[in-house]
Amino acid sequence: MNKNLLKQKEIVIKGMDLCRYYKRGSETVKALDNVNIDIYSAESVCILGPSGSGKTTLINILSALDAPTAGQLFINNKPVHGLKESELVDIRRGTIGYVFQQFHLIPTLTVKENIMLPLLFLNRKPDSDQIDKVLEGIGLLDRANHFPSELSGGQMQRVAIGRALITHPRVLIADEPTGNLDRQTGLAIMDLFLATVKKESITLILTTHNLEFSSFCDRVIRLRDGKIAE
Amino acid sequence: MNFFSFAWKNLMRRRVRTLLTTSGVTLAVAVAVSLGGFNLGYRRAISGSIEKLGFQIMVMAKGCPYEAATMMLKGGTGLLYLPKDTYDKIKNDPDIASITPVFIGIAEKENGGINDDSSSKSFSILSGIEVPSFLEMKPWLSFKKGAGYENGRWFNSNSTNEVVMGFEAAEYEQRKVGDDFYISVIPHGKVEPETHILKVVGILERTGSQDDGTIFLPLKTVQKIFGRENDLTIIGIKLKEFNGIRMREFEGRWLSIPEVQVVSMEQVKGALVSLVGTAQIMIAAVTIIAVIVAIIGVTNSILMSVYERTGEIGIMKAIGASRHQIFGLICIETLLICFIGGAMGSLLAWAASGTTDYALRHLLNIGIADKMVRITWKLILITISGSIVFGILAGIWPAFRAAALRPVKAIRGE
Repeated sequence: MNKNLLKQKEIVIKGMDLCRYYKRGSETVKALDNVNIDIYSAESVCILGPSGSGKTTLINILSALDAPTAGQLFINNKPVHGLKESELVDIRRGTIGYVFQQFHLIPTLTVKENIMLPLLFLNRKPDSDQIDKVLEGIGLLDRANHFPSELSGGQMQRVAIGRALITHPRVLIADEPTGNLDRQTGLAIMDLFLATVKKESITLILTTHNLEFSSFCDRVIRLRDGKIAE
Repeated sequence: MNFFSFAWKNLMRRRVRTLLTTSGVTLAVAVAVSLGGFNLGYRRAISGSIEKLGFQIMVMAKGCPYEAATMMLKGGTGLLYLPKDTYDKIKNDPDIASITPVFIGIAEKENGGINDDSSSKSFSILSGIEVPSFLEMKPWLSFKKGAGYENGRWFNSNSTNEVVMGFEAAEYEQRKVGDDFYISVIPHGKVEPETHILKVVGILERTGSQDDGTIFLPLKTVQKIFGRENDLTIIGIKLKEFNGIRMREFEGRWLSIPEVQVVSMEQVKGALVSLVGTAQIMIAAVTIIAVIVAIIGVTNSILMSVYERTGEIGIMKAIGASRHQIFGLICIETLLICFIGGAMGSLLAWAASGTTDYALRHLLNIGIADKMVRITWKLILITISGSIVFGILAGIWPAFRAAALRPVKAIRGE
């Protein structure tokens, strides 16, 4: 996307000098090292990099799941660094939806119940029309009462996407969403992601090590050894 | 979907583990409810049985107080006899409202008893009474009516062969008014037994006391049958004013007679309560251990469940669950186990209360007629509430562990 066009857009997430260090014995591992990043509204961003490059660490920080060792993070122009877990929960609830590589569905809940789960935590009554709309959007209306064990990998990832979308998040974050899927299914999931974020004007941040999938996004940020590679 | 249905589904994931944990709570609660029922029931049962004696005070030969208490309730087999002049000395005491002499004897039943087995001996409790004074103590005694029981009456005081049978004694022997009843007694000072043919002139209605199993005869007749003219086993007394002071005064006056003890209803109650107390302490100890084991079981089970679901808890936090919500969810899981265990345990204790009562009655053998285990709604509600409180206690640690998990670490399964 044109840089001038991007500048006209609102910044949803801003990371300044983000660092994340881990102690491994006496050694300090720099998983993320002085990363500066701006994520704009309604854009799709792919964070591309090989395994161990810090992709997951970066999106965990961008999504307020993890705290940076150093640096500043702003979500919706509000400083997030240094906030307590209870305050981070509020930010995550209202702003961010997650999709994980391993799907992480609750095995005892049906497709419909898995999708409704975030509403339970928001103390919101589920609207059946809204749920049906989400189910239709992910193509699983006929599987609403199936359990995760009765679904294929692609279908499970669709449920995870539905679960992330049910709260109308401003940002959808997906960590290697196609990592456990074959190429065809991965392409279908990418289509679903891109169609959804376009339709709902949602910001999409996804990580992948697959160059083909990254090409579908508006912007690609390459990460290598915890640093952004220009 | 709400937090309760979600928690229930989580519990159903490991059905066997949930079932075993709930069973532990069920057993602990069943023991606790039974003990509570016993606590509620036995004091009332003892009081009820003692009140049905009709006496406030009994004068009897000296002996073990427990034996005295049991003798009062069971009709007794102690059979120590009061000195011959005791009744005459006591009957004119100014504080006495009514007094009744009683002679209790044990007779071997002859083959006239329908339930008799020729190969085994069985015995009857014979109680020699003076009807007017005895009825002053027990005005509730009445005769059974209906076919076969018509014209039931008390015996004439001078009769030598008329008997009135208690309800259960008549049922057991299958006797009706007008039937004969055979007994065999070895009179005092003799070697050979003498057989007596008695005629049933009345059968009493059920009283729920030891009177139901007793066969009543005129006092003088029984004394003669046993060869103990003028001997008495007990003297039942009602005072004009019954309280601790009056009782002590009365006791002080008559304890001077050698080999006589004056026992009040309250003393008997105390003796029986302390007799039961030992068993009660043992049961309470077992209950406490069972409850502690159940709490540890629930904590362990839920803690295992939390460890297994570490990743899931991380995901729940990532998609919007707060610490409080995770804490609440785990607490609900423990509460469900404890509530269901509590309800099932109460139901089990209630269903088994008859058996528990029977077992305790035979174990303690103190001749209490009323139910000793009394399970009430209030007791059940208290116990279920208690199990919920214990559930919260059992759930606090696992819930705290789950709530404290950091999302990223939990998702990674650390």
